Amino acid sequence: MMQSFLKAVHIYWYMVEASIRAQMQYRYAFVMNIVGWMMHYTGMGITIWVLLYSFQTLEGWVFWELIFLFALSVLSWSISIIFFFHFRTLDQYIVKGTFDRFLVRPIHPFFHFMAMKFDIGAIGQLLFSILAFILAYSKLSLHWSFWKWTVFSGALLGGALIQGGIMVLISAIAFWTTRSERVFWVIMFPLRNLINYPLSIFPRAIQMVITFILPFAFVNYLPSLLLLNKTDSIFPPFWGSLSLLVGIIFFWLSLQVWLKGVNKYNSTGS
Amino acid sequence: MISLKGNLRMYLEFSRKSFQRAAAYRFEAWMRVLSNVIFLFMWGFIWYGLYQGKESVSGVTFQTVFSYILISQMLQGLHSAGTPLWDIQEKVRTGDIVSEMIRPYDYPFRLLFADFGSIAFYFITAILPLYSVIFILLKLVIPASPGQWLLFLFSALLGYLIRYCLELTFGLFTFWLVETGGVEDIFYFAISLFSGAMIPLWFFPGWLNTLARFLPFQGIFFVPNSIFVGQLSGKEILPALGVQFLWLVISFLILRFVWSRAANKIIVQGG
Repeated sequence: MMQSFLKAVHIYWYMVEASIRAQMQYRYAFVMNIVGWMMHYTGMGITIWVLLYSFQTLEGWVFWELIFLFALSVLSWSISIIFFFHFRTLDQYIVKGTFDRFLVRPIHPFFHFMAMKFDIGAIGQLLFSILAFILAYSKLSLHWSFWKWTVFSGALLGGALIQGGIMVLISAIAFWTTRSERVFWVIMFPLRNLINYPLSIFPRAIQMVITFILPFAFVNYLPSLLLLNKTDSIFPPFWGSLSLLVGIIFFWLSLQVWLKGVNKYNSTGS
Repeated sequence: MISLKGNLRMYLEFSRKSFQRAAAYRFEAWMRVLSNVIFLFMWGFIWYGLYQGKESVSGVTFQTVFSYILISQMLQGLHSAGTPLWDIQEKVRTGDIVSEMIRPYDYPFRLLFADFGSIAFYFITAILPLYSVIFILLKLVIPASPGQWLLFLFSALLGYLIRYCLELTFGLFTFWLVETGGVEDIFYFAISLFSGAMIPLWFFPGWLNTLARFLPFQGIFFVPNSIFVGQLSGKEILPALGVQFLWLVISFLILRFVWSRAANKIIVQGG
């Protein structure tokens, strides 16, 4: 068991290397992609700045606090897309019937599909969010204790697992309906925009969905409450320290759905 | 150079066909509505949150801004039903654009009329019923007179055409730049911020507002939206429409110029 797992990890990294080499073949496209993402997120940051210019605060959150919230979500997002961004295209493999090859190789289909791409284009998002984070940290004059840095790391890992989990979950829809890419854009794009703003501005029902069903609240809002010493009328700040736990549980559940989907695919036989 | 070829009927046929096509692919339309409503919802609550404890900001009340955001989302919904930019870029990259060029019609016009068809379908089946219900239920600010309605519709049409010309021109740049990654993001950012799609220009810092007034993008959403909610009224409307019209002429000329150059510069990938 352990040995086969180690072997899978070994093959995974071997394929990652190949994927990186493949992406580096198109240098110009690679660089433009990074520049593009940095522009995209900088644009979103500027939009938040313009929005706050005449109003100063949004439910007690000032500009740099909002940037902190934003940077935290992009930071964990950029970690998760390195591994899982291509999962949204699973429907193409199923429609074309090319998914079969993931089932006949001596590596677990999930690992194999995951190894299809190691998205180094995520560097753009990563650079942007690190920069935004450093700026927000210094503008807000934060001085974190060891405990807070632990919470922060938990939020990063947990956030990456939650968002990766959602990508895995959405891709699994393709096993039953042969659609995933469209669903991905319709769900992920608005939701990721939504969490750039404090959850407390939205109605209670939405807050519950985003906390308990698709746990995006644990990606940035709840950890930010704790890390920025803010309060919320519903959620106690210590919930922000649970991100990693929620991430592990949510990812595990998503993975189970995906594996169920693989079994379903086996039986279609077309 | 500009060849309508006296054949409006042919172009209208493209509208009719794409209307039918849109009717056949209803799933796409529902997904688009869902996305549109989520964003409407999000911006509605953001503005509500911003206005907490404030009566009016920069002389504008929450009700006015909320109506502005609604009409803006509605127009954006209509714009999104047209041919997406990546579709044009893909045609250029794969070389399929050639089949458009050898046919006896003008591609930019054909595409415009085809978009009219799919937008008409989307408008009738989704946007009109949805937004009528919202406006009536929430008792929001709407134009008070038929004249104001007409001016709004005219301004919205000008805005649509400006966006169409700019976006198609940008799409045609693919003839020269195979990879448009970074430039594309700047372009989209400029459209989304300076058009006033999400944040009305009233709330911009002074210098940014001035800059925005000198760009073509404000004619896309800001001018029609402002007419709709009555922030732009009386004697101010005419100059605003004039500026919109001027930008339409300029962006149309740029489009024609780029298109004529593009037609002479076919580099098909791998060919």
